[in-house]
Amino acid sequence: MPPTPMHFAALLPTRQVAFLGHVLLSAADGLAGRRRFRTKDLGRVMADCSARAVPIVTVVNVLVGAILAFVGAVQLVKFGAGIYVADLVGIAVAREMAAIITAVVMAGRTGAAFAAELATMQANEEVDALEVLGLDAVDFLVLPRVLALLLMMPLLYVYGCVTGLLGGMVVAAGMLDISATAYLDRTLVSLSYEHIGLGLAKSFVFGALIGLVGCYSGLYAQRNAAGVGVATTNAVVVSIVCIIVLDAVFAVCANALGI
Amino acid sequence: MTLLAVDGLEMRFGDRLIQSGISFKVEKGSIFAIMGGSGCGKSTLLKHLVGLLPPAAGTVKYDGVDFWAANDAERNQMRAGFGMLFQSAALWSSMTLLENVCLPLEQQGKLDEAQREARAREVLEWVALDKFAGFYPSDLSGGMKKRAGLARAIATEPPLLFLDEPSAGLDPISSKRLDDLVLDIRKRTGAAVVFVSHELPSLFAIADDGIFLDADSKTPIAHGSPAELRDHAGHPTVRAFLRREEPPAADPGSAASPVTPAPPATQTATP
Repeated sequence: MPPTPMHFAALLPTRQVAFLGHVLLSAADGLAGRRRFRTKDLGRVMADCSARAVPIVTVVNVLVGAILAFVGAVQLVKFGAGIYVADLVGIAVAREMAAIITAVVMAGRTGAAFAAELATMQANEEVDALEVLGLDAVDFLVLPRVLALLLMMPLLYVYGCVTGLLGGMVVAAGMLDISATAYLDRTLVSLSYEHIGLGLAKSFVFGALIGLVGCYSGLYAQRNAAGVGVATTNAVVVSIVCIIVLDAVFAVCANALGI
Repeated sequence: MTLLAVDGLEMRFGDRLIQSGISFKVEKGSIFAIMGGSGCGKSTLLKHLVGLLPPAAGTVKYDGVDFWAANDAERNQMRAGFGMLFQSAALWSSMTLLENVCLPLEQQGKLDEAQREARAREVLEWVALDKFAGFYPSDLSGGMKKRAGLARAIATEPPLLFLDEPSAGLDPISSKRLDDLVLDIRKRTGAAVVFVSHELPSLFAIADDGIFLDADSKTPIAHGSPAELRDHAGHPTVRAFLRREEPPAADPGSAASPVTPAPPATQTATP
């Protein structure tokens, strides 16, 4: 018997799909002016996943830019094309590395924190206390977290690009004696709006993904200490795997669209 | 006036039966105790009463309206009439005590911000926590958390208060103070109180009426005020529990006594 749509529907992870639908409906309610979460909570989460994430995002992106430049310099200099290290670093950082590396850092940092916080709230009956009050946990807890990451990830991506390029520039200057001006000129020539647009689109998607996975893992955690640990681990592992898979999807789509 | 009516309630976790055949009424201004040994399903029953868990069978009606037959908006409207103190107090850990008490008021939507804060400070004063308004739950002792949870529950002056083991884990003096506070709240607000406890002093001190759940038969085996059940309950397990005695040895030849008949309506507890 050929597979019917119902066969495929049965394969869907129904609880996850229901959660996603619930978040989308809550977001639609919020856009329609029926916001239920506190602005203060949104501000707190935004600060946590932006300003407080800057040091680690800086370190990781500078090093990734430097590593790319180092590997590129060693190979390109053999062909007398050392200056093209700026192209390599610029395109790789803007298209791929800044978005992926920042997302992985945020999954390990903020996604895990969301999962641990919500799982602890679940274990302490704090989520039940909200429900008795008539406050929906998705409206009150999930939406501000997902929204904060959606808004902050693109900013962190842009910042990651800048720091990654700086890392590459330092290595290029040190190894190939390329001046900062020449390196920046070459970078600007090689980069296009498509590269940056693609990276920005990825950062939006990765931000939503990390927020959703972290909150889902926390809200559906078992109500004990072990449950908090499992939720945190799941949030990080699932987020990172999904980031890589989605990046592959982006690569295929970008190739198909000629970007 | 009946605020809460439970009829034929059956509670299950999947295929596992927790309790069945639970029926009782709670009148306005009364204090109703849910009694029973550890693990018999008291807290689970309370979660069914406040709408956190759906019953496997039976109905839970507030002011005559079936909670689980109502739509989401109606349920939220009914929930606005509840105040709930959880066993762990369940204070929101990222908020100060003042914010914890203000949130139900904000959700109620009747007061502006300044009025909400004034009301929150007033109820914190009732529970002697006004000096701790800016503290976070993690900075408080267990007894203070319970009182803060109670302040949060009564802030909106709900007609129905649900208290899950309010005095569990507290020293005798703090426990007595909390009991006095519950009686004081009933006097001030006229709220009906449904509370879960196996603390005998609390049961005798504040409850007007109650139901006794049995873990073995998975049904309620007695209905009446704790003092009445201690002296006259038809089931020996109930008498032994309330007298703090060893339960009688099970007689394999005889079935447990049936549920003690509920007192007639005229005896239904009112203050």
